[in-house]
Amino acid sequence: MEYLGELILIAVGAAIINNFVLYSFVGICPFIGVSRRVDTAFGMGCAVTFVITIAALLSWTFTYYILRPGAPLTAWVWHLVNPDAKGAVDLTILSYIVYIFVIASSVQLVEMYVRKFFPPLYKSFGVFLPLITTNCAILFACLEIMKHVAGASDPSKVWDLGRSLTLAIFGGVGFTIAIVIMAGIRQDLDNCDVPKALRGAGITLIVAGILSLAFMGFAGVNTQLVVLMGGAK
Amino acid sequence: MTWLIVILATGTMLVLAVFMTYVLGWANRTFHVEVDPRIDAVNEALPGANCSGCGYVGCNEYAEAVVAGEVPIDKCTVGGVSCAAALAKILGVELDRSWPYRPVVHCGATYEDRLGRNDYRGEHTCTAANVVAGVQGCTYSCLGFEDCVGACEFDAIHMVEGLAVVDYQKCVGCGACERICPRHIITMVPFKKERMLAVTCCNKDFGKDVKAVCKVGCIGCKACGRASKLFGFEDDNVPVLDYEKYDPEQMDELQVALEKCPQKRLLVVGKPSERDLAATAGEEVGEILQPDFKTTVDDTKWHG
Repeated sequence: MEYLGELILIAVGAAIINNFVLYSFVGICPFIGVSRRVDTAFGMGCAVTFVITIAALLSWTFTYYILRPGAPLTAWVWHLVNPDAKGAVDLTILSYIVYIFVIASSVQLVEMYVRKFFPPLYKSFGVFLPLITTNCAILFACLEIMKHVAGASDPSKVWDLGRSLTLAIFGGVGFTIAIVIMAGIRQDLDNCDVPKALRGAGITLIVAGILSLAFMGFAGVNTQLVVLMGGAK
Repeated sequence: MTWLIVILATGTMLVLAVFMTYVLGWANRTFHVEVDPRIDAVNEALPGANCSGCGYVGCNEYAEAVVAGEVPIDKCTVGGVSCAAALAKILGVELDRSWPYRPVVHCGATYEDRLGRNDYRGEHTCTAANVVAGVQGCTYSCLGFEDCVGACEFDAIHMVEGLAVVDYQKCVGCGACERICPRHIITMVPFKKERMLAVTCCNKDFGKDVKAVCKVGCIGCKACGRASKLFGFEDDNVPVLDYEKYDPEQMDELQVALEKCPQKRLLVVGKPSERDLAATAGEEVGEILQPDFKTTVDDTKWHG
């Protein structure tokens, strides 16, 4: 039950309170670029959620078994080379390059797989996949997961796969919420008399800023959630 | 210790790289989808702008449709004739003479000619004004709120006294104005010559109703239809010029229709040809008769 409560907190935190786009300001390029129409925005959101989940799955595996200090696989190789070594090997310096590498190649793989076995799916969001291979929102999710896997001092607080995937999926859901709201506003903006100097990118960025301010209002929801779930801290 | 970390890190990356290379190489062969090589070739020949001017989402979609034989090969307005020729070579088909498409505004009424205009204080876009009833009498005509002017990337369409006028010197035929016009009074027409005949009205009503809302609108007398077979009436009163059969070189038959038209709604639009310029070099009247402000009495009629 406690575990489930934690998952709910992570999910709400990733999707709404610390929304990737509107709180951490990552993934701005697709957020501005593909938010002209609601249906394409929704497609983009789904594609990001999909890729983020796969990237999180792989990056968690790599971080947990290879990169973090005292990772089992590295420690085993380390002991093969140097049987009487002391202390854990820390390969977290490799995190960025490994994540980019893993995300890019796994998206390639998934694209080929989907193209072969699910042509309709490929048609609907195949065009978005190459666009988001090295998107910062996805790298951000991986780094966030790394922070909790490699950075945790207490071994019991090291995130397992379930928590990492929850963060990734709901981070993607939060991205979808943000981009769909944005697309809806921009569609209505088409019928508005925007001052000439602000047309185009200007008004879009202003709208994004106001939307971000609105989402700041969710701060503090998590403490109330903790109280509601009976876990007074 | 530091050196060992470096070696370990390098080793990890190397192992990862080799592993991923093999996985991707294997996947590339296993998940290979047989694609018609012509689609790739067509993709290469297309501009790759994904402007959807052809009516498809992107160049790739259009390439697939072209190879499947669903659409003509000359639909790419950005690539133009050279692109169509390249596609014809790839697909091994004969390229019909393909014409550059240019927009034609099917309305010729300036603010003065449009009757029943009311003060409109809503959003100054045609899209918004089109939703509201009673902005002006004619429900077919140009609204004059410059949606097309804003859509044009090439500064090739302007408002002249409330009427959209295409600058054919600058126009490249991307079709943006055609797509944005909420009243659909702009159509893309194959310009077989620099100057083309156009029906500059699209009011589908009859005589009296048109007269009530417009000084210059087509009254549906169908005189042009009797004079020439090129004018069709698709259950409407307003004539539609058959551009497939229209040959600008043979204007004799059409000249009769032009003269018969009581409202002078059949106009020749486009760049002035060399011959026209030479013919009118000595005269002061242009294609569009502007009111002459030198005299106090203005008896010049607007002819379009």
